[in-house]
Amino acid sequence: MLRRVLLLSICLCAARTSVHAQGFTFFDRQVQIHGFASQGFVHTNENNWLTMNTSNVGSGEFTDFGANASAQITDNFHVGAQIYDRNLGQLGRWHPSLDWGFADYRFAPWLGVRGGKVKTTLGLFNDTQDLDFLHPFALLPQSIYPTDLRDTTIAHLGGDIYGSLPLPRSLGDVAYTAYVGHRSDSIHSGIAYVASQYNFHYSSYGGLQYGGDLRWKTRLKGLQIGVSRMDQDLSATAKFINPLNPDGGFILDNEHSKTDWTNQFYGEYILGKLRIDSEYRRFVNDQAEEVAGSVILDTKSDVRGCYVAGSYRIVKRITLGSYYSRYSITRASTGPLAPLFPDQTDTSLPANHIYDKVITARVGLNKFWNIKVEGHFMNGYGDSTYPDGFYPQQNPQGFRPNTNALVLKSSLNF
Amino acid sequence: MKIRLLALVAAVVMFGSVRVLAGNVKIIANPSVRAESISAAEVKSVFLKERNSLRDGTHVEPVLATGGSAHAAFLKEYLAQSDDSLQDHYRTLVFTGKGLMPKVLHSDEEVVAYVAKTRGAIGYVSSTAALDGVKTLTVGQSENDAARKLISRVEPEYPVILLGNHIGGTVRVRVTIASNGEVEDARLLGGNPVLGEAAIAAVMKWVYTPGHAPTQTEVSIVFDPGH
Repeated sequence: MLRRVLLLSICLCAARTSVHAQGFTFFDRQVQIHGFASQGFVHTNENNWLTMNTSNVGSGEFTDFGANASAQITDNFHVGAQIYDRNLGQLGRWHPSLDWGFADYRFAPWLGVRGGKVKTTLGLFNDTQDLDFLHPFALLPQSIYPTDLRDTTIAHLGGDIYGSLPLPRSLGDVAYTAYVGHRSDSIHSGIAYVASQYNFHYSSYGGLQYGGDLRWKTRLKGLQIGVSRMDQDLSATAKFINPLNPDGGFILDNEHSKTDWTNQFYGEYILGKLRIDSEYRRFVNDQAEEVAGSVILDTKSDVRGCYVAGSYRIVKRITLGSYYSRYSITRASTGPLAPLFPDQTDTSLPANHIYDKVITARVGLNKFWNIKVEGHFMNGYGDSTYPDGFYPQQNPQGFRPNTNALVLKSSLNF
Repeated sequence: MKIRLLALVAAVVMFGSVRVLAGNVKIIANPSVRAESISAAEVKSVFLKERNSLRDGTHVEPVLATGGSAHAAFLKEYLAQSDDSLQDHYRTLVFTGKGLMPKVLHSDEEVVAYVAKTRGAIGYVSSTAALDGVKTLTVGQSENDAARKLISRVEPEYPVILLGNHIGGTVRVRVTIASNGEVEDARLLGGNPVLGEAAIAAVMKWVYTPGHAPTQTEVSIVFDPGH
């Protein structure tokens, strides 16, 4: 693994002078090839973070890359696909996946359709959260875009309808997206890793995902506001070791959601070199675990996150930024196993929140390569059924209330 | 003093708005593009790849000219963003599958040559570029401005001496249309100066549909001694 990281790092450095989009002609159609890669390093002073052992010398198990091919087939029809792979501590584990792959037909500016595996439109950055080179921050606000749980929202196998249309009286433009499809989480994803701490070992996790997004580009130049909604009906199969009878071996567990929805509200303002973003997300989830047709655990979680972020490009290649991100969770369980999962109701406790103050500097070495230096000053560790980066598996000694983190990251694209 | 200051401000505002329309760049298109005019909002949405057709349904494909002097002026006048921001926008499309990178060329000559031979191509060049084989689209501040139609046309008088000597040709005239639809200025861009004089005299009597602000357009008038 270390060799892979080393090799990627060398490639990142070596490629800096000669990265250009590639392409070829196939059946008289131009096929564009693009790619990206990033390598990060994280050091924390207290708790281990993001499934890495970050608190000693730090960890460089923070790598991802992707490559895509796209072609315009007719004036209104294009197809493409992207492969994505990552290794983030215990997540991803170098198992490449189809990130997106779909056909897109645009009937008119106000109506288009996409079918295949499509990145889910949710808030400002859900569909671009892996694209480090687009953002001033090494880590997007984790209250809204938890990188360990990216699989939960990143894409769906299904279809979108989308479009944009001007509003009367020069009030701006409205863009809409509506989607329905099937979400499928990798067994190397964060949700599976969360469950493993409770002795649930998933063999599959996913289900119906549908929703929409509406964003208004206002007549005030640079200002857009929007709202997203996502509903899900998820199910999972897992092997479960009953903590009340650990010698009893694996029990087959079925899990399904009774309620699962997300509302997200957002705004963005760009004025010259200044950029301000803010989002609020509420995620409500009621998940039932069944063994042999009987509910053994029913868990209701209510996750709320918000952030305000600002960045300013001080010179052509240097951007400074900062954000404040707040995450909180409440949880209540019922069923025979509920006594093993005490309710979490007080969001002022460090176990039930993470407040993260962040400062960052991004240096663009050229158009294709940048490096970032970022400091996180976190209060709380949010250890629950829907965690935000801190896991007991990496912190067997227990959690401390505050964690500071240094994040170094470099990425390139072509 | 105050009046002089107000007049100066008014002149700056007026001159500024005309400059945006006249600009340092010309929007050019392949002759397959049916439209003669385009709104500034359409230019922006086409080059941001938010739309791939004009309001009349004509398919268009944007072409960037990153190496020429027109690029910076185009970014400022039409897209109001930096080149880095524009590239980030295209990367967002490319890496989410929502679009492809546009064609990128490096000089006015390359853009004109590419647009001339590529169906639906639309690009921008500096105002001094030679425009062989392409059409120039006039740009209005709004779709209403871009779609301003000629509602009253006066034909030019053929100069008798030229007609008698069977001298003809095509003249090109840049027309500035006032908000109320009247022609407030007409300037000869090319062609026989004597024919041009006659053309300008006629064009000054033309009337267009009203718009929100002054706009400019180019017209070509053919003088055929055989007719």
